[in-house]
Amino acid sequence: MKGPNQEEEKEVEKVFIGGLHEHLTEEKVIDESQLVPNFADEIQKYGGKDVMTCLQCGNCTGVCPISLKIDYKTRSIIKYCQFGLKKYTLGTRWVCATCYRCYEHCPADLNPAEVMIALRHIAVREGIIPPFIKTAATNLVKYGQSVKPDPEIDKIRHELGLGPIHSQDPEYPKVIREIQVLIHASKYDKLIGIQEEVKV
Amino acid sequence: MISYVYFFGCVVPNRYPGIEYAVRWVTGKNGFNLDVADHKEFSCCPVPGIFYSTDKDTWLLLAARNLVLAQDERRQILTICNGCLASLLKATEYLQEPKNMGKANRVLAQIGKKYTGIPQKAEGKRKVFEPVKVRHYIEVMANDLGYDAIAAKVRRPLKNIRTAVHYGCHYLRPTERATFDDPNDPVMLDKIVEACGATSVDYEDKLDCCGAGGGVRSHVVELANSLTQDKCVNISAAGADCIVTGCPFCLLQFDNAQKSFSKDGIPVMHISQFQALAMGIDPISLGFDTHHVSAHSLLRKLRGA
Amino acid sequence: MTAPEPQNKGTPQGEPAKIAGAALVPKVGVFVCHCGSNIAGVVDCGKVREAAEKLEGVVVAKENKYTCSDLGQAEIIKAIKEHGIERVVVASCSPRLHEPTFRKCIQQAGLNPYLLHMVNLREQCSWVHSHEKDKATEKAIDLVLMGVSKATRLEPLEAREVPVEPTSLVIGGGVAGIQAALDLANMGFKVYLVETQPSIGGKMAQLDKTFPTGDCAICILAPKMVELARNPNITLLSYADVEEVKGYIGNYDVKVRKKARYVHEDKCVGCGLCSDACPVKVDNEFDLGFGQRKAIYIPFPQAVPLKYTIDKEHCLHFKTGKCLLCVKACTNEAVDHEMEDEILTLKVGTIIVATGYETYVPMKKGVYKYWEYDNVITGLELERLINASGPTGGHLIRPSDGTTPKRIALVQCVGSRNKKIGNNYCSRVCCMYAIKNSQIIMEHEPSTEIAVYYNDIRAFGKGFEELYHRVREDYGVEFIRGRPAKLSEDPKTKNIKIRAEETLLNKITEREFDLVVLSTGLRPSEGSKRIGKILSLTTSPDGFFQEAHPKLRPVDTAMDGIYLAGCCQGPKDIPDSVAQAKAAASSAAAPMFAKKVTIEPLTAWVNEEVCQGCGLCVELCPYGSPELVPGQKGGTKAHIIEALCHGCGTCAASCPQKAIVTRQFTDDQIYCEIQAALSEHGRKQAPKKRAEAEVSG
Repeated sequence: MKGPNQEEEKEVEKVFIGGLHEHLTEEKVIDESQLVPNFADEIQKYGGKDVMTCLQCGNCTGVCPISLKIDYKTRSIIKYCQFGLKKYTLGTRWVCATCYRCYEHCPADLNPAEVMIALRHIAVREGIIPPFIKTAATNLVKYGQSVKPDPEIDKIRHELGLGPIHSQDPEYPKVIREIQVLIHASKYDKLIGIQEEVKV
Repeated sequence: MISYVYFFGCVVPNRYPGIEYAVRWVTGKNGFNLDVADHKEFSCCPVPGIFYSTDKDTWLLLAARNLVLAQDERRQILTICNGCLASLLKATEYLQEPKNMGKANRVLAQIGKKYTGIPQKAEGKRKVFEPVKVRHYIEVMANDLGYDAIAAKVRRPLKNIRTAVHYGCHYLRPTERATFDDPNDPVMLDKIVEACGATSVDYEDKLDCCGAGGGVRSHVVELANSLTQDKCVNISAAGADCIVTGCPFCLLQFDNAQKSFSKDGIPVMHISQFQALAMGIDPISLGFDTHHVSAHSLLRKLRGA
Repeated sequence: MTAPEPQNKGTPQGEPAKIAGAALVPKVGVFVCHCGSNIAGVVDCGKVREAAEKLEGVVVAKENKYTCSDLGQAEIIKAIKEHGIERVVVASCSPRLHEPTFRKCIQQAGLNPYLLHMVNLREQCSWVHSHEKDKATEKAIDLVLMGVSKATRLEPLEAREVPVEPTSLVIGGGVAGIQAALDLANMGFKVYLVETQPSIGGKMAQLDKTFPTGDCAICILAPKMVELARNPNITLLSYADVEEVKGYIGNYDVKVRKKARYVHEDKCVGCGLCSDACPVKVDNEFDLGFGQRKAIYIPFPQAVPLKYTIDKEHCLHFKTGKCLLCVKACTNEAVDHEMEDEILTLKVGTIIVATGYETYVPMKKGVYKYWEYDNVITGLELERLINASGPTGGHLIRPSDGTTPKRIALVQCVGSRNKKIGNNYCSRVCCMYAIKNSQIIMEHEPSTEIAVYYNDIRAFGKGFEELYHRVREDYGVEFIRGRPAKLSEDPKTKNIKIRAEETLLNKITEREFDLVVLSTGLRPSEGSKRIGKILSLTTSPDGFFQEAHPKLRPVDTAMDGIYLAGCCQGPKDIPDSVAQAKAAASSAAAPMFAKKVTIEPLTAWVNEEVCQGCGLCVELCPYGSPELVPGQKGGTKAHIIEALCHGCGTCAASCPQKAIVTRQFTDDQIYCEIQAALSEHGRKQAPKKRAEAEVSG
C-alpha cells in the first residue's frame, strides 16, 4: 500500500514542483558583471574571424553533425562570443569535429570552426586542458608521433616484410631532441604541463 | 618526372601497417614505379586536432620542420592521410606570410633548419621560391597518373564490389584551398574506385563527417561513434560491400566504432589497399588482420566473382 | 619640368608662388568653416585660420560656423569687395556638396567662378580623424596650405553652352521605362522606347498580385502599356537592342538594331490565326517553362505591341524550309520569313536607362536542390503558378504530380545577403512578395499550412508591416527564424523535408513540406551589363548601376544626360521604381526644356604642337571623349570633345608627350600643391614666422 503512494508522490513532485528549487537558485538574469569585454577581439587574436559579422541565421547549427547529437549549438556559441559570455564557451568546445561544414554554408563568411579553435586556445590558457591533449603531446615528445607504438604491430610489420618504424631508427633520438627544442622554445611544454617530459 | 617523399604519418605505421605496404606496393616497382623516397626524420605532421587547436605557433614550428626536410630533398610530400594533408598544406599557406615565416625561422634556427620554400629558376638576380608542395595520394593518382593508367594496371577487376567511398572532411574543406577536387561534388575517389572495376554506390549524406576529427574521438568517443553509426546506416542502406577512404583516421574511426553498434560491420579499407587488390596483390599482404572489422566477407565475394 | 599651359596668365612655371615675385601672387582670401561641430569638434579651426593668415598672398582669413549659410556667403562677398581678393579658398566640406554654392557666391561678387578652391576639412579630415584631434589640426593646416598654394595658380575659365535635342531615349520597357516614357511624352517631348523582348511589360507583367494592396499586376500595368502604344509622342521599338551610343548630353547618336520578328508590324492585327495554325509547341519563357506557346507567338495575351513574333530557333520553316502554315493562315500577308534585322539611327538629347533586373538562379549543387528536386521552385515561378492568366489558370499545383500542395515552405534570402556568393545586399522585395504570396495562397486554399523560413523580416514600406501582421493573425502563416541547412526529398512522395535550426526555439527541427518556394533575390540583368558597357556607366560593388550621389542625385549617373530608373540601379519594389522613373523623367526633361546645357570647363585640352597623334588617350578615356582628327598644321592630332570630358585626368596622366593638360589640374598646379605639402613652410615654419613678426613688431 505504501509503495504506490510514495511513487505517486514522487510523480507529483516531478510533474508539479520538479526542479523548482534548483530553478530558484539558478541565476536567470545575466548582468554585465558576467560579461568579458572585448572577448571578440581575443578570439580574433587566436585566428578566429570577427564573430561580430554573424547574423545568427542558424545555418551553422543546422549543418553541424555534432549539433544533431548533443546539446551544442554552433550559433549559440557564436552568440556567446559576440556577447562576451566567456564562461559559457570554454567547457565543451572540444566536441567540434572541425569538419568545416559551418564555414562552407555561412552566409556571413564567418568561419565558426576556426572560432572554436580560437576558443580552444583560450580555454587551454585558462587551464582547461582535456587529458587527451596531454597524452598526444607526451607521445610526440617521447616518440616523435602522436600515436604510441604498439609491439604487436611491429611483429606484423616484420611479417609483411616492412622494416621497423622509422621512429625506431637509431638516429631518431636526434629528431626527438629537435622536437623537444621546438616545443620548449614555443613554451608549449609549460602551457600543456608536460615539462617533465621535455629535457632541453 | 615528379619526385615525391612518403609521409605516412602516425596512424598507418603504428596501427595499419597493411596500408603502408599497399602504398609502397602500388607506387613501387610492382605498380606505377614512381620516384618516391623515404625520409627517416619525419615526425607527426602534427595532428591538427591537438596542436593546431591548442597552440598555432607550436603547430606551425612542428609542421615547418617536416616541410624543411622535404624542401631540402627538393621533393613533393606524398601524404596518405587527410589530417597530414590539412595540417601540412595549411602550414605552407601560413608560411607564405613573411611574418609567419620569419617567426618560425627564428626558432627553427635553434635546430639548424630554415624554411624558404623550394627555390625555382631565378628571375634575374631575384631568387623565386615556391612553397613545398603537399599532395594527397588520391590526387596524385587522379592527376599525375590518370584514371586510364590506373585502369590499365588492374589485373583483377573488382567487379560486383559495391563500394561506398568516404572522402573525409579535410580532403574537401575548407574550400578556398580548392587545390583539387570539387568540394561540393568530389569525384576523384569515386573514379579511382570505378577504374578498379568496382561500383561506387551513392548513399545519403556521402560528404558527412565520420565523427573522429578535431579531437572528438579522443575526447568523447561515444559522440564520434554515434556520427559513424549514422554514416554506416546510410552505407548499409545502399547495400555496400565495403567502405573505401583516403584517410587512415576516418578508417580507424569506421573500423573501431562499428563494433559499438553492430556485430559484423562493413569492412573498411584505404584506397591504396583497394587498388592493390585490383592490381592483383595477395590479400594476405594487406594486413587485414590488424583491422577490427574482418574483410573476409569481401574477400569471399571477390573470390566468388 | 615644364608643362604646357593653354591659358597661362603669367605665373612662372614649375615653381611655387612663394618664390615668385610678390607682384605676381594674387590676393587670396581663406574661409575656414566649422560646419557646426562637424569640423570644429575635432580640428582647432582657430589654429588653422592663424596658420592661413601667415601665408604669402593671403590677405584675409576668417572663420565661420557655417560658411555655406547666407551669413557666411555674405562675408565672402564682403571680403572680395573690400580687400580686392582675387582667389578664394573655402576650407569646409567636400566640393561635391558645396562647390556650386561657392562658385555662384564669388560670381555674385564679380569674380570668375573658377577662381575658387575648396579644401575638404570634413570628409577627408575631421570625420576620419575624430580620435586624434591634434594630428587632425596639423593635417588641416597642411591641407589649407596646399589649397592656398594651388589657388594662387588658378586661372579664370569660361563655361560653354551646347544645344539639347528635345528627344529622349528610354532603354527598357518594364514598369520603370514605361512610366518614364509616358511622363516625358506628356511633357511634350518625343520619346523612343527600346525593348529587347517582343512585348513591353517587363517583370511586372509576370507577377500575380502586388504587395501590399493586392492589386493585380497586369490589370494596373496593361492600361499603361496601351496608353504608351497610343501616345503619338512615343515611338515604341520592341524586339530591338541598342547597339551603339555616341555623343554627349543634348546630342546623342544612337544605333538600334530592330530584330526581325518575321511579321510585319504594320500589317499584323494580332488576330492569332497564325499561332492557331502553327504546329510547333515550345515552353513559354514568360511562364518560366510551366506553360507552352507556339513558334509564332505573343508572350502573353495583353502583349504590347499586339504583334506576333516568330521564334527562329523553333520555327519549322527555318529548320526544314517547309511548313509555312502561318503564312497560309494569315489573312493580311503579315508573315514574312524573308524579313531581316533593321538598323535605325536615332538622334536624342537625353537617355533614361531602365534595364531592370534578373532573379537569382540557385546554384547547381547547392543546399536548396533547386535543380534536383521537382518540388523546389522559385518565387517568380510561384507567381506564374498562382496567376489567373498563368499556365494553371491560377491553381497552385506542385510540379512533381500536379496535386495541390497542402504544406508549403517559403525560404527567404536565397541569393541575397550572402557574402559567400558575393551578393551582400538585401534584395528588398523578397520578404514582401513571400508574405503577399502566402496571403494569396491562403485565400485560395484556406487549409494550407505555410511556413516562412526567414532571417529578418523587412516590412519597411507603407502598409507592409500591416500586411505582415495580417498574414500571421488572419491566415496563421508561421514564421520560422532560421536558415534551412538541409533539404531532402522523399523518393516516393516527392515531399521535401527541411532541416533547420529554429533559432528562436533554439532547437533543430525537421519539417516536411509538399512544396518549397525559394524567395530568390534580384541581381543586375545581363542586358544591364551590356548597356552599361555601351554607355560607360559605373556600377556599385553590388553590380547595379551607380547613381551620381546616393542622396542628392539618386537618378543621375556620372554621365551627364543619362539617368537611371528602376531596378537597374538597385533592387526596389514597384512604387519605388515608378517614383524613380518619374524622377528620371523630370531630370531628363530639365535640359530639354532649357534647350541648352552648360558644360563644365574643367576639361582636358590638347596642345597640338606637342601631340604626336599616338591615340593612347583615345584608348584609355572611360568616356570616349578624345578623338583623332587631322591637325591644323597637318598630321593626326588628338582632340577632346569637351562635352564628353569629365576632367578625370586619365589622358593627361598617360600622355607620353605630356601634350594634354587637365584644366585646373595642370602639372604646375599639382606640383605647387605637392611642394606646399612637403615644404617646411607650413605648420613648422609658422611659429618661426610669428617669432620674426614679433621681433619686427
